Amino acid sequence: MPENANSDGPFLELRQIHKRFGGVRALRGIDLSLRLGEAYHLLGENGCGKSTVIKIMSGALAPDEGEIRLGGSSYRALSAIQSLSAGIETVYQDLSLIPNLTVAENVALSEQLVRSGGKLARILDKTKLRNTAAAALEAVGLPSDAAFLTTVVSDLPLASRQLIAIARAIATRAKLVIMDEPTTSLTRREVDNLVLVVERLRSENVAVLFVTHKLDECYRIGGNAIVFRDGECVAQGPIASYSKSQISELMTGRLIASERYRTAKSDGATFFTTHDLGRGSSFRNISLSVRKGEIVGVTGLADSGRNELALAIAGIAPATSGTIRINGKDIVIRGPANAIDCGIGYIPEDRLAEGLFLDKSILENEIALVVKQLSNRFGVIDKTAGRRLAEKLSEDMRLNTRNLDLPVGALSGGNQQRVLIGRWLSILPNLLVLHGPTVGVDVGSKDTIYRAIQALAEAGMGLILVSDDLPELLQNSDRILVMNSGRIVAEFDAERADEDQLYQAMLTSTTEKVA
Amino acid sequence: MSSSHVEELHGQAAKRPSFSLGELVRRRPEVITFCLLVAICVVVSIVNPAFLQPSSLIDIGRTSVVMGLFALGVFVILAAGGIDVSFTAIAAFTMYSMTLLVSKHFPGIPMPVIMLMATLGGAILGVVNGLLVHNLKVPSLIVTIGTQYLFRGALLSFVGTVWIMSLPPQMGAFGRMPLLQFQAATGAMITLPMYFIALPLAALLTWWILNHTLMGRAIFAVGGNPNIAERLGYNLRTVHIFLFGYAGALAGLAGIIHVCANRQANPFDLVGTEINVIAAVVLGGARITGGTGTVLGTLLGVLLIVVINSVLVLVGIPSTWQRLVVGSFILLAAAFFVTRERKK
Repeated sequence: MPENANSDGPFLELRQIHKRFGGVRALRGIDLSLRLGEAYHLLGENGCGKSTVIKIMSGALAPDEGEIRLGGSSYRALSAIQSLSAGIETVYQDLSLIPNLTVAENVALSEQLVRSGGKLARILDKTKLRNTAAAALEAVGLPSDAAFLTTVVSDLPLASRQLIAIARAIATRAKLVIMDEPTTSLTRREVDNLVLVVERLRSENVAVLFVTHKLDECYRIGGNAIVFRDGECVAQGPIASYSKSQISELMTGRLIASERYRTAKSDGATFFTTHDLGRGSSFRNISLSVRKGEIVGVTGLADSGRNELALAIAGIAPATSGTIRINGKDIVIRGPANAIDCGIGYIPEDRLAEGLFLDKSILENEIALVVKQLSNRFGVIDKTAGRRLAEKLSEDMRLNTRNLDLPVGALSGGNQQRVLIGRWLSILPNLLVLHGPTVGVDVGSKDTIYRAIQALAEAGMGLILVSDDLPELLQNSDRILVMNSGRIVAEFDAERADEDQLYQAMLTSTTEKVA
Repeated sequence: MSSSHVEELHGQAAKRPSFSLGELVRRRPEVITFCLLVAICVVVSIVNPAFLQPSSLIDIGRTSVVMGLFALGVFVILAAGGIDVSFTAIAAFTMYSMTLLVSKHFPGIPMPVIMLMATLGGAILGVVNGLLVHNLKVPSLIVTIGTQYLFRGALLSFVGTVWIMSLPPQMGAFGRMPLLQFQAATGAMITLPMYFIALPLAALLTWWILNHTLMGRAIFAVGGNPNIAERLGYNLRTVHIFLFGYAGALAGLAGIIHVCANRQANPFDLVGTEINVIAAVVLGGARITGGTGTVLGTLLGVLLIVVINSVLVLVGIPSTWQRLVVGSFILLAAAFFVTRERKK
């Protein structure tokens, strides 16, 4: 009962927490108190100190100053095992699952580890492991049979992994569950299930702290908003008492437009067409066209074939049937290098794994596509020209640092994405495929990225925007194609369509006809 | 909306790969090792029935002991995502120092104590590895290349370089002590020595630690992803110290058995056979990137290498071909595992 919890006083309190990283002040005097049975949403732009504060709560970082009050005791800093023993379970964005262990072990090992106080010289209680895991899996709506318990986690789809991470929190009898951007990679249907699980946690008197960029979901879940900006807490209170634009303004310190970014109507000639494109069982009969300066949105559920289509056009997993024409020429795309030669650029969904050289500098990342042009006949790279180019690209993309020698891994998600888009600006392809360009990016960076996308279209580039962020598609594209079970099932004029229409088309099974 | 969505997720999660031979091999790669082993034995016994004689089987068992003990240690480290190339140097150091110590200074020490001391000595050197890997935050390959030189250099410069040809009597006796003895058809005595028992015992202990203790699961967790394991509260320092200490202990034990079995202590011995052992572990299905593998697979990998080594002679292939065969098997097995992984 939340009422009872309220009378008990807060479960976790942070008082005047400060944290510096070198010269950067990540947190400047944070005061927070969290009560059992409540939901909290920690909101803020990338780099505002959200992740620092959850790392302090989970014992991964020690604050420089301040006090942590937890379960009646006062601490200067928590260790990971102290935090876990007190009942704080953090589900990081990567879910913190061990890929090579089984479902049962991922769910229930932590509970045995916490009970042993972190000591490893203990015999594993396998029966208890199975029982604890089964009970926790049932609570989040996953199967709990022996076959599922012994499945290795890396064999499971992402949505199930998310729930397994939450089941672990239940198994350790967590009192506070912190979820770092839990819905970033989930479809709407999977988010619905997550919302149910959260309700359940709250009814069992567990506090839930969300760290997220998706305001719509915060409103659906309800509870309290905590807004951070530049390492300070700028607002705290029931989320229902703030409007969306108020929260955006609190987060960024400026007003963010929520109207359509797409204003100009493209009237260029059709330059890119596919005819009956297909690849195995992933997608088939895909015929689409793109005009110069046009932005075509493509959406669908995670298994609709939208991702595979993007990969096929980019040449990463080429199509096996059908034809592609670009600028009046039939082409066959056999690989990524081939696609680039044909004037097709691709910005991958997983920019960390597929798009960027994280330990290389901004400069090196931005000139990666033009090193050949920049080098003389002995293969020596003209460094001054490279730097000039990179400086120009960074300025165009409004990077928030002037130090081009900084490794890309040190940048925030939004800035990393800008580096990636900037790289394609260096060769100006005819067609650019953007795959989830704002996944895990905050409101302020989204704004910059959208403006950059529009600028590319205005310069005459054709863009295919593959995304599951429906407002993003509606705000940015000319037309939106909806895929379902490997086919294009509907086409909408983005100016007139709304989210519900798109969502219906995504969900309707292919046997029913979509108008 | 609620119940239908949950069911949907149920369905999705339940969509597990159906059972098939390919799936079995992906989950239990040691099946391939086993099939290879059986295939070789069948072919060889057809070509040369002498292979099936108890004497050659016992020979294989005897030669597996030292390599098997090494391999168990390497496997445990590999399971945690590390690699060790210093174990042969640890074995050489402890075996030679112990033999010297016993024959020069304390000739009366009983055999169990000698073995215990060698095991302990190996463990201490292993812990040095573990502390270095943990504190320097350097890949274990680099650290153990360094310590291999270090341990071997220390042995040759400070302990001695002279072959010890006559062992202290209790060590020599231990090398000859039979576990099993019978007369073959030819009239020759065939002996399975007592020290053979060390391998199954060590394998059982390793299996128990890996599968029935929190430490064992922590080792696989660290092999899966060390950063996440640390975040979940596993103490990486403890895991590292245990890992390398355990592998060092096995190496120390292997070293002293090696001396007793060969009836001499050669300080230049053993070092250089690391790759053979690592090859056996990898052939047993453990991935070099860590987090996978089984004790059974490791033992099969060792048997495979030992059988290849001893069998080629029996079928009349020059022993110089041994490397060629082992090399092709490793490449074949690796290619096989990788394609299975991609098809997933």
